[in-house]
Amino acid sequence: MLATRYWLPPDISSHGSAIDNLIAYLHVFMAILFVGWGIFFIYCLIKFRARAGHLARYDDVKAKPSKYAEVLVVAIEAVLLVGISMPVWASYRNEPPKDDPLIVRMVAQQFAWNIHYPGPDGKFGRTEPKLVNEISNPIGLDRDGDPAAADDVVSINNFHVPKGRDVVVRLSSKDVIHSFAVPLLRVKQDVIPGMEIPVWFKAVKSNDEVREAMTTTVALPTSEADIEPFAHKHRGDVFMGDFGQGAAGQPLAARGGWVTKETIAALVQAKVVEVAVAPKDPVNIQCAQLCGLGHYRMLGQMQILEPDAFTQWLESQTGGAEEFIDDE
Amino acid sequence: MSSDHGHHHEPGFIRKYLFSVDHKVIGVQYAVTSLVFLFIGFSLMMIMRWQLAYPSAPIPFIGGWLASAVQGVVDKTGTLLPEGYNALGAMHGTIMVFLGVVPLAVGGFGNYVMPLQIGAPDMAFPRLNMASYWVFLPGGIIMLASFFVPGGAANSGWTAYPPLSVTANVTGTNPFWNGQTMWLLGMIFLITSSLLGSVNFIVTIVHLRVKGLQLFRMPFFVWAQFVTAFLLLLAFPPLEAAGVMQLMDRVFDTSFFMPSGLVVSGQLQEYSGGGSPLLWQHLFWFLAHPEVYVLILPAIGIVGEVIANNTRKPLWGYRVLVYSIIFLGFMSFVVWAHHMFLTGMGTTLSTFFQTTTMIISVPSVVILTAFLLSLYGAAIRFTVPMLFAIAFLPMFAIGGLTGLPLGLSASDIHLHDTYYVIGHFHYVVAPGTIMALFAGIYYWFPKVTGRKMNDFLGKLHFWPTLIFMNAVFMPMFFVGLQGVSRRLWDQTSYVTGNETHNWVKMSSWGAWMLGLSQLPFIINFFYSAFAGKKVAANPWAATTLEWAAPSPPPHGNFPEVPVVYRGPYEYSVPGSRQDYSPQHVPDAKLA
Repeated sequence: MLATRYWLPPDISSHGSAIDNLIAYLHVFMAILFVGWGIFFIYCLIKFRARAGHLARYDDVKAKPSKYAEVLVVAIEAVLLVGISMPVWASYRNEPPKDDPLIVRMVAQQFAWNIHYPGPDGKFGRTEPKLVNEISNPIGLDRDGDPAAADDVVSINNFHVPKGRDVVVRLSSKDVIHSFAVPLLRVKQDVIPGMEIPVWFKAVKSNDEVREAMTTTVALPTSEADIEPFAHKHRGDVFMGDFGQGAAGQPLAARGGWVTKETIAALVQAKVVEVAVAPKDPVNIQCAQLCGLGHYRMLGQMQILEPDAFTQWLESQTGGAEEFIDDE
Repeated sequence: MSSDHGHHHEPGFIRKYLFSVDHKVIGVQYAVTSLVFLFIGFSLMMIMRWQLAYPSAPIPFIGGWLASAVQGVVDKTGTLLPEGYNALGAMHGTIMVFLGVVPLAVGGFGNYVMPLQIGAPDMAFPRLNMASYWVFLPGGIIMLASFFVPGGAANSGWTAYPPLSVTANVTGTNPFWNGQTMWLLGMIFLITSSLLGSVNFIVTIVHLRVKGLQLFRMPFFVWAQFVTAFLLLLAFPPLEAAGVMQLMDRVFDTSFFMPSGLVVSGQLQEYSGGGSPLLWQHLFWFLAHPEVYVLILPAIGIVGEVIANNTRKPLWGYRVLVYSIIFLGFMSFVVWAHHMFLTGMGTTLSTFFQTTTMIISVPSVVILTAFLLSLYGAAIRFTVPMLFAIAFLPMFAIGGLTGLPLGLSASDIHLHDTYYVIGHFHYVVAPGTIMALFAGIYYWFPKVTGRKMNDFLGKLHFWPTLIFMNAVFMPMFFVGLQGVSRRLWDQTSYVTGNETHNWVKMSSWGAWMLGLSQLPFIINFFYSAFAGKKVAANPWAATTLEWAAPSPPPHGNFPEVPVVYRGPYEYSVPGSRQDYSPQHVPDAKLA
């Protein structure tokens, strides 16, 4: 199982645990402060409520304990700041990884993520805003004019990366500010038009591994009226096993098949009680900066593949003057 | 002397109630107007929360009306459109901050109470005061009118980041009368109004204090308004300038904020280019960070007044409190880029802003601790204002504490632009500031009207409000920790959003129940204004100067100019006959 802490999502990155630890320490500190204040607060409300014979004290409460507490609070904040947050930010963000990272460009637009791979020659072909064609050439790649562009691969919304290798993403935008966010990778970077901003990460789990780890067993609905809402809730999910049996002995729901209203209805009819499901694409790319009416559906998918599978995928895309638009 | 404005005849209705220069009338105008805006702003959110809880379901009751009455908000089935969601969201933020909370806290409470608390007959510049209200109101009307123009209201967030804000609301619309342009015009009016007001507040507090009212005898509320006025005066001008620049980018195709080579919907944009979207962010946040202290300081001031009065003892650490808010005011100008940690900021800059942000948390902790210590050794009266003031303390604590993970850049990587942020700032403003403002309304209502608000209705307002405020905003921390982004018309298309949807439903139901919980307040407010129990000048047995004036005070405020003999919170002074020693009563008369 993927470990999750408190309400954090699973962390499948190499740098994320430092961030998660900081968040955890912070919340423990916050809880201690809140509970400490709270106990004093409730104590005062009860002990010092106005009642017959009880008078208020005019003189100032001597505040030695609170002075010490105050100094302690500042000291802990200083430790969190200088001892943890600054080093974590510096170690993660100061320099891009040097150890043979995969370098890609990502061009965000309303409302999709265009990923641009340099191809076997390792060089990005020239792009030019004037060449942009929303259907055939969303990033304005100069395929005809620039020889380096011939082997470039452009993918839309599905960001294929190899597991266990550093990836550097050079982010830019065609139109408005977006923000490339992958919560499970603890990555977030604003994408600002007019700037090219790099962000990097290393995924330590593949999509398949994440999907396995996210598998949950859910009870099927018992009444027909609940089938539609159930199917809607699980519309991004696939079955993580074979369930039910049809007339010819084949499973009603096969491993890897989409959860659909019809399949659920068939399973319910066959009196299947529960199924195991998981999101088909469990590592989402979210846009984290309001970018227009399609902001909510600027959804991309990380496709984290084993290194061999990734190489295979990249090779299948490369070559040919045709723009391969991979839009599963 | 106090009513000596030269020859003075009774003004007609228009001069007395509409275009009045009396700070009390202006204060009530601000308060009533801003309460209406608060109600409107909150209603926008109640509509949005339907879409969040029940995505793509038509809005009940009013969906049909919305489809016919306003542009671009719902489709013909009455379902909220994505662009409509964005418009309601942008206007909710704008209306609540600039038309609701600040005008109530500063224009309403500040205007009405502050001159009374310093013994002044009015503001230093009464006509300027009138002007500031009558510049505020058109600004608000322009903002509301923007819902009814083609393309609908502004929908690029209250933050209005370009290039989105420059390229939005343009298709098929008039170059001038469209939502975002009207938003910019409205902001220019509102900012101007604030600037006029802040000058007035500063001069009044510096020059019009009565004899004996040294700076460190001023009520804490006046100090809070004083610092707030400086924040408004110094922080707003860059945003006004930026607003004009964005207006020019929209209307005259300049490129202050527009970089070269933009392709929007497949069209190469015809700007000269070379501009920077980041410039807007810096100019905006240079105001908007001090602005959040503008939102909280008057509330802290009100809480101080109500706590002192209802603990029957001086506030703990009055000087510490004053120095804390002054320090807070200074620091508020050097933290702004903590809103921009993820814009590609380097380590040096993020280190600077993290450090200043951590430093600014210290005075907030000090203030909260001072208020808590004020409860120690007290004789606490649980009046309705005190209930709200007491509840403010843990709510502000939650809001302030949840700022810490956001203020550190490393943890902000995960939490930036998620629901955690929304939970954080709402805790400070909603169960924080707004509850403090309620405390102020219940507290000063007798001074304004000569009548008390009903206590039973007050408690019926308080308890559900407290419970449902938490029901709305506490779940947002869990949703945010999961990584769910802000400003999403439908969160369920994301795995993380799908999994946290039950929390979203809880927030929505909490919001609707919170709306219902305000009914006792609305009824109480209007009923008591006309038929509430009549009270004398000082029903709370308070010490500060406003209670020395009649309820309500006449034009000119004090029949006799008061003189101040002591500090603002001389309650339960040992050896005195009563448990309070008003500021304006000489020692001889006290015993």
